[in-house]
Amino acid sequence: MSANLRTIGNLVVRYRLLVMLAGVLIFGGFTQDDFLTLTTFQSVLDRAAVVGFLALGLTPILIAGQIDLSIGSVMSLAAYATIALQPSLGSLPAAFVGLGVGALAGAINAVIVVALKVTSLVATLATLLIGASLALLISDGQPVSSADPMFGLSLTNELLTVLSPRSALFIAAALIMFVWLRATPSGRNLYAVGSSMPAAISAGINVNGYMAGIFVLSGLCAGAAGVLQALSAATGSPLAGSALLIPAITAVVIGGTRLEGGRGSSLATLGGVIALGALTTLSEYNGIPSYTQAVYTGLILILLITLDRISGDNGGRKTRTLRRAAVKQVQQHGGTS
Amino acid sequence: MTIRRNILLGAALSALTFAVAGPVAAAGVEGKSICYITAANSHFYVTPANEGAQAAADAAGVKLTIVSEEFSPQTGADQLNSCVSRKVDGILLWPLDANSYLPGLLKAQQAGIPVVAIDTKAGEESMKLIASFVGADKYGQGQISAKQMNEALDGKGKVVIIAGQAGNNTTIMRTDGFLADKAEGIEVLATVNADFDQQKALVASRDLITKFGDQIDGVYAEDDAMAAGFLQALKESGLAIKPVILGIGGTKTAFDAINAGEMTSTILQPPYDNGRLAVETLAKVMGGETVAADVPLENTVVTKENIGGFKPVM
Repeated sequence: MSANLRTIGNLVVRYRLLVMLAGVLIFGGFTQDDFLTLTTFQSVLDRAAVVGFLALGLTPILIAGQIDLSIGSVMSLAAYATIALQPSLGSLPAAFVGLGVGALAGAINAVIVVALKVTSLVATLATLLIGASLALLISDGQPVSSADPMFGLSLTNELLTVLSPRSALFIAAALIMFVWLRATPSGRNLYAVGSSMPAAISAGINVNGYMAGIFVLSGLCAGAAGVLQALSAATGSPLAGSALLIPAITAVVIGGTRLEGGRGSSLATLGGVIALGALTTLSEYNGIPSYTQAVYTGLILILLITLDRISGDNGGRKTRTLRRAAVKQVQQHGGTS
Repeated sequence: MTIRRNILLGAALSALTFAVAGPVAAAGVEGKSICYITAANSHFYVTPANEGAQAAADAAGVKLTIVSEEFSPQTGADQLNSCVSRKVDGILLWPLDANSYLPGLLKAQQAGIPVVAIDTKAGEESMKLIASFVGADKYGQGQISAKQMNEALDGKGKVVIIAGQAGNNTTIMRTDGFLADKAEGIEVLATVNADFDQQKALVASRDLITKFGDQIDGVYAEDDAMAAGFLQALKESGLAIKPVILGIGGTKTAFDAINAGEMTSTILQPPYDNGRLAVETLAKVMGGETVAADVPLENTVVTKENIGGFKPVM
């Protein structure tokens, strides 16, 4: 009986995104005539792009067992810079400055976490506060309107029926990250760092280098999210990212990346973002108030994590590097006492 | 070539049919769908406006889908895009900033979906793509408040302004209208931003009362909630002054305060009517009628003299 439950639990957890998407599609198909269309799909993907970039940046961070709370604030700063600098620099250079702001903020996080040895939770909580206030201070609390509003409008246009330029960028970034995490030694080592840092250190992995790298990457992704948001809305708002931290974390976790580290995938994040986006769109089509939507999202989170625990027999799965490290340790210490 | 000409001819013919059918369709919008992108689900002004919109939609037989921006223009911009992709027949939009809706509005225009704005105006570029604006004349509210203040103080005195959010269109209009029409002899001691929030107004008012004390002859609060905040601070202070206090909105608290002689006046801004009128206006646009670019709500001043004839609108 319990074995059966565990099998079902296993299946649901493994294919959680498919289960969730199927649920959304079935419910949507029943309640709305115009839900199961390519246009809906296009609009879900398009809306997923901005929060998607935040979630992508967060994925390696969570795999390494860290957290970056500052991404929303960094996104706001990047969005504001992208638009505010347009008159003096031109639209395209300003967008690159936006990306640079993201990378710089990521580098600052990296210094605090790696060099000053502050826990990432505390470090990025501090930069979240500083970033959010800085954005408001610089902008005087006012969103700035683009001097060149047509420049970024095409980012949300239809592309190949189901995409838009910005959703295509997001999907491409997720695929590149997938290849990096799965098919390169550096990507695989990241899982080792997240599973057990001492073991990773003794296996000779440059843990500090990885930590610094993922924080810069996360900042860069948040910068990209800010640039995309600002250009497609022709507005640089100092609050652009303030409400997106929680949806981004939720999307990554629903995808199956663990907050404890050592497990996760960028494709799972892609799926998580799309599943959440589809749920939001479905709720909107049905006129379900947004606070009710948040209740559903919360319940889905609890359900998924609980199922994950019930069927959590693969939690101990380790990477090759870690197994080697464990063996090495055992040899050095002469076995368990 | 012939084929192309036939297609063109066909297009011209169908355009003609459409033009002929136009006025007939104007008679009813029954069965059509409206996407209403509202500022919030739960808010003292927005909620009754949503109810009014729903009631008008029900009366017209239109299917109304309400989506909430939760006061985030970014969310609203995404929702606007979604509504356009769904090919609804009309969109009612609550703009929260100047430019964020521009891409969606352009798409709506391309798709031939009419958009009406409710309560707040968007930026100039955006308003060009919006068929009509339905909401209170907020500049007029500022002017009316100035007139009330001029009369109550005989054109001479020191006042404080408790304003809404900095940069918010409503705040700017209400402040500018007041400053434009206030008498020469009325001096503004200070303007503070309390974000249309009673608690923030309470804190700000404590400071104002400590700083200026009995110098304050008048208070122009840009909504009733903030007027209530000032009243509360005044009672706490125990100071024996009785300044002229003006509010805007028409809440129950303001009515009680006017009845008790603590507040001088308020201006009714009925949210339910705002929502109802907005959907009715949009339905007219969808039916092919021409509507005014500005459909204002009537500004009614409520004072102790006429309060018997009115009910709180919130």
